[in-house]
Parts: sequence; C-alpha cells; structure tokens
Amino acid sequence: MILAKSLVKSFGTFSAVDGIDLQVQKGECFGLLGPNGAGKSTFISMTYGTVQRSRGELSVFGYDPKTDSREIKKRMGVVTQENALDESLSVFENMMIYGAFIGLPKSERKSRIDELLEYMNLAHKKEALIQTLSGGMKRRLVFVRALLGKPELLILDEPTTGLDPAVRHLLWGKVKELHQAGTTIVLTTHYMHEAEVLCDRLVILNRGKIVADGSPQQMIQQHTPGFVGIFKPEDKTHVEKIVANEKNLNFHEDTSGLYLRAPDLNQLATLHSNHGLQPLQIRPSNLEDVFLKLTGQELSVDA
Amino acid sequence: MLESLKLCMHITLRNWMVYKKDFIANISPTIADPALILVSLGLGLGTYVTNVEGMSYMQFLAPGLTVATALFTSFFESSYGFFVRMTFENVFKAMLTTPIGVKEVVLGELIWVALKGAVMAVGVAIVLALCGMMTNPWMIPMLSFVGFLVALPCGAMGLLSTSFVNNMNQFQTVYSFLIAPLYFLSGIFFPIDQMSTPVRAVAEIFPLIHGVRLAQALFWDRDIFSTLLCSGGILVLQSAILCAWAFVRIRKKLIT
Repeated sequence: MILAKSLVKSFGTFSAVDGIDLQVQKGECFGLLGPNGAGKSTFISMTYGTVQRSRGELSVFGYDPKTDSREIKKRMGVVTQENALDESLSVFENMMIYGAFIGLPKSERKSRIDELLEYMNLAHKKEALIQTLSGGMKRRLVFVRALLGKPELLILDEPTTGLDPAVRHLLWGKVKELHQAGTTIVLTTHYMHEAEVLCDRLVILNRGKIVADGSPQQMIQQHTPGFVGIFKPEDKTHVEKIVANEKNLNFHEDTSGLYLRAPDLNQLATLHSNHGLQPLQIRPSNLEDVFLKLTGQELSVDA
Repeated sequence: MLESLKLCMHITLRNWMVYKKDFIANISPTIADPALILVSLGLGLGTYVTNVEGMSYMQFLAPGLTVATALFTSFFESSYGFFVRMTFENVFKAMLTTPIGVKEVVLGELIWVALKGAVMAVGVAIVLALCGMMTNPWMIPMLSFVGFLVALPCGAMGLLSTSFVNNMNQFQTVYSFLIAPLYFLSGIFFPIDQMSTPVRAVAEIFPLIHGVRLAQALFWDRDIFSTLLCSGGILVLQSAILCAWAFVRIRKKLIT
C-alpha cells in the first residue's frame, strides 16, 4: 500500500528523513517508532502530500503523493498529532463539517456520525461543545473524524501521546478491532509498549534513518533476547563485579538504574540467592531495550 | 474542477458556522465603526464642512464607508483570523488530510471574505440609504458587487500579510503602514483630486481607491457605467494578481 525507496526529505542541510526504504502491506499494522525528531511525522506527512519529498520514490495506493494526493486522501483517514477540532462548535457540527469535506453524501453523514460516536463511546457528548470535552474525549473524536470515510488506510500519528492509561487501553482495543476488520494501519509512536502491543511489523527510526525492522518479537530475539533485571544505582560496584565473573550478562546503565540482561531467566533469579543482590524488578526484554541498544546515548539528545 | 469548487464552498460554510457562533462579537465592529464615523465626522465635522463637491459632508462620506467596511472585514479575517486558524488552531493540518488541497483552502477563504464583504457593504448601504444618503436606493444591490470586489483583493492582501509575518504582533506594522494609510488616503474622507500626486499614484496601485470610486458612482448616481467598466476592471485585475500571489505564498506555508 505504501512503498518508499531511498526516500529523503531535507530542510536546508538537515535531513529529517534520510534514505528510507520500506513497504507497508495491505491489512497489516505497521509501526514507525522513534524518539521526537526521528522523522516519523515527516514521513507520515509525505504520504498525503503536505510535506514533499526531496529525493527518492514514494507511492501510496500506487499514486504519487506529489501529484495525486487527493486520490490518496480519499481512501485514507488520519488521526493527526494535533486534535485541530473547532473548539467553539459542537461534536456533531465538527463531524458534519468533516463529513462534507470527505464527500460523504448528506443522507449518510448523520447516520455514519452517530454510528462512530457510539463506537467511540461518545454518543452522550454529541451536542457538547469541544471546549467542554476532556483530552481523552477529544482524542476519541479525532478517531471518529479519521474513520468517517471508512478508510482503507488509517494513519495514527502519535495517537495516545499525553493520554491516561485508561483511554490509551480503550484506543488500543479499538485499533485492534479495526485491524482485525481488515483496515491497514500505520502507527507512529514513541511508546515502545504501544508498538509492541499493536504492530505486526515495525521499523525503528533514529535521526531520519531506519536502524532496525521486523516484528516486535523478531527484533527482541535478534537484538536483546532474554530477560532484564533492574537494580538500584547504589549496587553499581556489586553489579559490575558480577558482570565481570558471570557469562552471558549484558550490562547497561542510565540515570534511572542499572540494567542486566541475560538470555535465561534463572540466571537473573539466582543473583539474589547466590550473590545477595536484590533486583528492583525482573521482566522479559522488550522493545525499549532494543531501542536503547540500537540508539544508545543518541536517544532524544536532539529532541 | 466541480469537486474543487464544492470543497471551497464547504470551507466557506465552515467559516460561516464558526462565525455565527459568536455573531454579536463578530458583527459589532462592522456595524459600530461606520455608524461612529458617520455620526462623529458626518454630523460633527459636517457642520463646519458644508460643501464638498456640491454636497453635504455626510453625503460625501457615505459611499466610502461601505468600502471601508469591506476592507476591514476582509483584511482582519484573512490576517489575524487566518493566522490563528493556521498557527494556533491547526485547522489546516486536519483539513489537508481530507481531499482538500491548498488551492481549496485559499480559494475557500477568499470566497468567504468576499461574500462577507458583499453582505456587509449592502448592510451598511441600506442604513445609509435610510438616512437619505443615496440618490437612487435601487442601486443598493449593486453595492454587493462593490463589497465583493473590494473584499476579495483586500482579503488576498490579508493572506499575503499572513504569509510574511512571523508572529501575530507583526500585523500591527502591516496595519499601521499599509492598511491605515490606505484607509485615510483613498478618497473616503476628502476628494481624491486634493491628494498630492505621489500619494495618489501609490494609492492607485491598491484596490481601495477604485472601490471608493465605484461606490461613489453608485451612491451619487453619476457615470455608473463608465466607472463600472474602468474601476471595476482594475479591481478584477488587482484581485487576480493578489489572489494568485497569495496562493503561491500560502502554499509555501502549508506545504513544505
């Protein structure tokens, strides 16, 4: 559905997207993961033409967004990073305007809006003004807006940034349902966990380049297999001694604590009985570990 | 083409929906400003200035006020208004994910301000005609044409300002050094011939002076046909140039 080859977007001497190759297949949920400023939103904006590529190739549904963005946008729904709702208008009025923008016939507009407000648990807010809605409600309404035209391709640009866990989980549930119903989804996020929960396949972007790709499990298996124990910073000398003596242990330190990764859960679990070292937490390795390993200290330095 | 026009109309309708939500606040300056000028200058100053081109000062002032209304309603909407929509409300970021493109955004905005200018000019003209300021009140509908043709290029000037400023504060410079001088030096308050030649030459470049001539012809029932042809033609030309330039500039703002 989306095909990018050596895609570059430069602003002056700075390349926000710096030679990306990727392909999004019909029906999959594809993730673009990366810190702020990695090039995620620049890439997304290129797919519907508000950012135009500097070099390389890009096609969406077989169309070039530079010349045929309208054809693309007719089949696409976007949950924009900013809500961009008309604050002085009601929920229903906002959606009626967008129903008109996407060319929904007048007779269908009302029923489609009602259906989607119901789906996003917003039916009771139909007549409320946007300025009276909570952040989570506004976000859900942006989902309604993106879904009005029954898009084949749904773009979610940081859909859950700044939301509380309850709303986040609700939205994840909805995204999974849409995915199961056959909608192709492209998701950008800087929450590793979100990508792990939702995406079939993803790429990690850093400074405009793809640093890893695959399914979340593949990536974890490939880059940081096993389990991670987190220890208090005070135990540093103790931990370093153990790392020096034991095999298969990976050590990583940052301001939040000390991280030891081992392929085998047992090895971490026995650190307490064998060495008297009490971990704060032991958990399976996740995408965050992959991310930190691949991007290292670069993480959000420029963001 | 048809699809594009339809989208423009939807943008215009969107602006109308937002506008009417705060109708009293939005319409206040349009009603109050001309009324205030008419009373203070027309009645106040008018007692001292009793004969301007063979008529009372109030009669002289009347046509220009309809044009000034079209100028202000369109310029403020497409400068401050558009800037807020673009920068703070992110309206276009969402709009541009729909089949709407920059062309429709710019055209939709301009149609909106031009229609608003037309309606406002007629509104002001009706009030002035009721005060007996119009020789032939049947000309009132024609004022919509003047309002439209003035608001369109002035709206484009507003969009151009939007494309040049870096923050909202800088609109003050545009207002102080461009809009206010145009307002005072385009023949609304005193006959155009009395302005010095260089000032007049500069004023001729901008739409306002031609709108004033057109409105005066209609209000005073003088040389209507030839003024329509000449001043109307210039306004159409200026509109075309300014709108095209505004489109190019705004496109750079919305598409990178």
